[in-house]
Amino acid sequence: MTGTGPVLDVQDLHVTFASSGGDVHAVRGASLQIAPGEVVGLVGESGSGKSVLGLTALGLLPRKPEPRLEGVVLLDGLDMITATDEDMRARRGTDISAVFQDPMGSLNPSMRIGAQVAEAAGGATDEEVAEMLAATGIPEPEHKARAYPHELSGGLRQRVMIAMALSRHPKLIIADEPTTALDVTVQAKVLDLLAAASRERGVALLLVTHDLGVAARICDRIAVAYAGRIVEEGTAAQLLQQPHHPYTVGLLASRPRLDGSIAGGDLPTLPGRPPDPRLPLAGCAFAPRCPAADAQCAGPLAIHVNGERRNECHHPGVLTRWPEGGPHAGRRDPILLKAPNPVVAPAMVRGVPPEPAVVVRGAVREFERPKPFPFAKRPAPFTAVAGVDLEVPHAGSVAIVGESGSGKSTLLRMIVGLLEPTAGDVTLGPGAPPQMIFQDAGASLTPWMPIGKQIEERLAALDVPSSERGARVAATLEAVGLPAEAQTAVPRALSGGQRQRAAIARAIAVPPALLACDEPVSALDVSLAAQVLNLLCHLRETLDIALLFVTHDLAAARAVADEVVVMQRGEIVERAATEDLFTDPQHPYTRELLAAVPEIHAMAVPA
Amino acid sequence: MSAITRVGGPASRMWRGRPALSPGALKGETVWHALIPVAILSLVILIAPVLAPYGGTDVNPVGALQSPSPDAWFGTDEIGRDVFSRILIGIRTSWFAALGVILLGTIIGGLIGAIAGAFGGKVDMVLMRITDLFLSLPAPVLAIAVIAAMGPSLRNTLIALSIVWWPWYARIVRGEVRALAARPHAEAAQLAGVSRTRLVLKHLLPGAAAPVIVTMSLDVGNLILALAGLSFIGLGAPPPAPELGAMSARGLQYLFGHPWVPIAPAAAVALLALAANLLGDAINRRLDQRTTR
Ligand SMILES: Nc1ncnc2c1ncn2[C@@H]1O[C@H](COP(=O)(O)OP(=O)(O)O)[C@@H](O)[C@H]1O
Ligand code: SF4
Ligand SMILES: [Mg+2]
Repeated sequence: MTGTGPVLDVQDLHVTFASSGGDVHAVRGASLQIAPGEVVGLVGESGSGKSVLGLTALGLLPRKPEPRLEGVVLLDGLDMITATDEDMRARRGTDISAVFQDPMGSLNPSMRIGAQVAEAAGGATDEEVAEMLAATGIPEPEHKARAYPHELSGGLRQRVMIAMALSRHPKLIIADEPTTALDVTVQAKVLDLLAAASRERGVALLLVTHDLGVAARICDRIAVAYAGRIVEEGTAAQLLQQPHHPYTVGLLASRPRLDGSIAGGDLPTLPGRPPDPRLPLAGCAFAPRCPAADAQCAGPLAIHVNGERRNECHHPGVLTRWPEGGPHAGRRDPILLKAPNPVVAPAMVRGVPPEPAVVVRGAVREFERPKPFPFAKRPAPFTAVAGVDLEVPHAGSVAIVGESGSGKSTLLRMIVGLLEPTAGDVTLGPGAPPQMIFQDAGASLTPWMPIGKQIEERLAALDVPSSERGARVAATLEAVGLPAEAQTAVPRALSGGQRQRAAIARAIAVPPALLACDEPVSALDVSLAAQVLNLLCHLRETLDIALLFVTHDLAAARAVADEVVVMQRGEIVERAATEDLFTDPQHPYTRELLAAVPEIHAMAVPA
Repeated sequence: MSAITRVGGPASRMWRGRPALSPGALKGETVWHALIPVAILSLVILIAPVLAPYGGTDVNPVGALQSPSPDAWFGTDEIGRDVFSRILIGIRTSWFAALGVILLGTIIGGLIGAIAGAFGGKVDMVLMRITDLFLSLPAPVLAIAVIAAMGPSLRNTLIALSIVWWPWYARIVRGEVRALAARPHAEAAQLAGVSRTRLVLKHLLPGAAAPVIVTMSLDVGNLILALAGLSFIGLGAPPPAPELGAMSARGLQYLFGHPWVPIAPAAAVALLALAANLLGDAINRRLDQRTTR
């Protein structure tokens, strides 16, 4: 180490991309320092410029569109903005390295793990590679070194990336959403590994994440990014316990919490979206969304620095909590949707209790395993779901939790009819056939077909007369909080949250008796996730739709479900009313899941 | 944010998945717009023979084997026909023959590929076996067989070429359809109650449009060359049809005394193929840009 100065010193950084629609101001004057060995979280919604800041430090900004850089980015005292490509390449690995969200995108699929680690280390023997892999907690490292990336689980792949990042003893690691694609249990372990690796070796870590809970778990210091600036910065404890900037307060509030203080689908939401990065900003960028905004906020920025703490708010600390039940984007009563459709209206007879939305008895699903070599005997099939009984009451809400591979999605797909059960029965209640919301909303919409058309298709399939379809599409879009223009838009033209709303719109255009959701919000920013969860709960209430909700996010389960079912290895190991499960978990696996949630309240303040 | 998929590891490769699988960019019109330059070039070529001073088999009064002159721009051949006029007509024939084979290949291949991709299983296996069988046929041998059976004519040459050409398209379409069928949007459409035919036509097939158009546009040049090659070895239209390959083959004996007779049609083939390739590249780049963004 060259001295006592910061490893990374960013001062008044501006990053602007020229685009056809005008300049995109990704970073608008951000400053951030990281001391040697320090673990710093950079938190904010997507589009806040956090990744661009990290990529600038790495010298990995995309070439096209050409970025314009202003300001200072000193990596261990040397400027990265004026550095040549050559210099930057030389410094990546030795001075700075990175771990990204998607290890599959970063690993070469046709090269063995060991060879890639050796390459990253700038040459290493097999023993050294095994040691590096072992140091990141990879079991049977010699064996795994011979595997190809696709043969490893997501968690292991991310460990391999960490091993590669550490291989040349850099001074700083930038981890950009390193655990976003992983399950809670794995997520916690990978975060702890990152923190431990960095503390043991004195490597500084910049953890870029949209999830304050993730940052809270391991960071000494947290910086909150908004619209390309760092709007608040302080020690983790200061920020979480006494946030000064209203945006930090909002971020904290929109995280579903395990303590259930905001259960029942009324998560406070941060209304609106971050400002358009193409527009110039005057005054506080957060003002349009800020409950405490006043005339002063339109004036020049107020920057307060006090020891370790720094914020850019005219009224720091005005907001101690986010106003409850904030405006629900798109919360309009979908009355039109309720108009009974003769074809699909459930045969409700007065006085008879409504039938359950679905009853599953002894469901089993096996998958054939591939033969290890062409003429081998076929191996015994793999059992993804091993005899599950489940009932979702009329208009009820059941959450299925469990880590990936536990059979949740397979069960869901059998229930909606996308997969045949190997054994057992699925009995659906009366009403329109079940619909499903997928994790990746973008992928669940046909890319070239306008949203309106996709909704209309479902209406046509249920014999809604063509004269009524237009009005119904419009009413549905309104009910899920999408603008009318969304009707003619293709999915690509919508944001991630809007796409999920569009997928929901198609599913409820004729309300189904059962809406199956497979991780519907795990790909969304916290504030968007809260909005979508609220929307789902609201639709359930107003349209009598039963929800079956698969998630690995226990906090989300708590927010929406009446009953929670815990799955492990294809079986249900525990089921209980939501409150009971969280306050008094019975099964050890449930306790493990609960303990693994990155939780702000349970945070041990790092020394 | 595509930037996030980049790697920071020092020497590790910047590896990125094939972008074509995110057909997000494929808004129908954009894809078809890419074909506008082909349509314009086709129009120009269509009217080119109108500029020809003589017919394809007419004799230029200047006489046989005359050097290029203002009366016969590219000279005349052994029986006094105007080389310039014959080339203009030959270009039109080559161009539209190439487009015809490609169109036919796309239709047949697209149909078979779509069925194979949408049904999967046994149907897929059988259809793809058949496709591979055709793919393994060498074009000249097949052309000889077809012409031996049906007699030499441009039509028969085109039939022979179509037989070896469609399997490429079947493969591409099948691959894209299979990949798209595994995406959640196909399942979501199924859950929405969309019929099987509609699923294939509206939710799967359009995703194959961009790769197919790119292949089509890059194939025009290939086909012009293949056609000229076959016609050069005598597997095209019989004389006296003005066909570029045959013209340059028959003119070869005059290469030393009257070089324009074989060289002018050969140069026309080269230029036409070059133009087609440049166009194909441009279309390719344009669609590629839209899909990777
Ligand atoms: N089509 C399939 N073929 C083979 N195995 C599958 C298939 N679908 C799921 N599985 C396996 O079944 C198990 C359960 O998967 P899944 O239901 O997706 O779990 P979860 O949704 O809980 O993550 C996993 O081990 C997965 O690999
Ligand atoms: S400056 Fe004003 S608008 Fe901005 S966060 Fe503070 S109070 Fe809200
Ligand atoms: Mg799953």
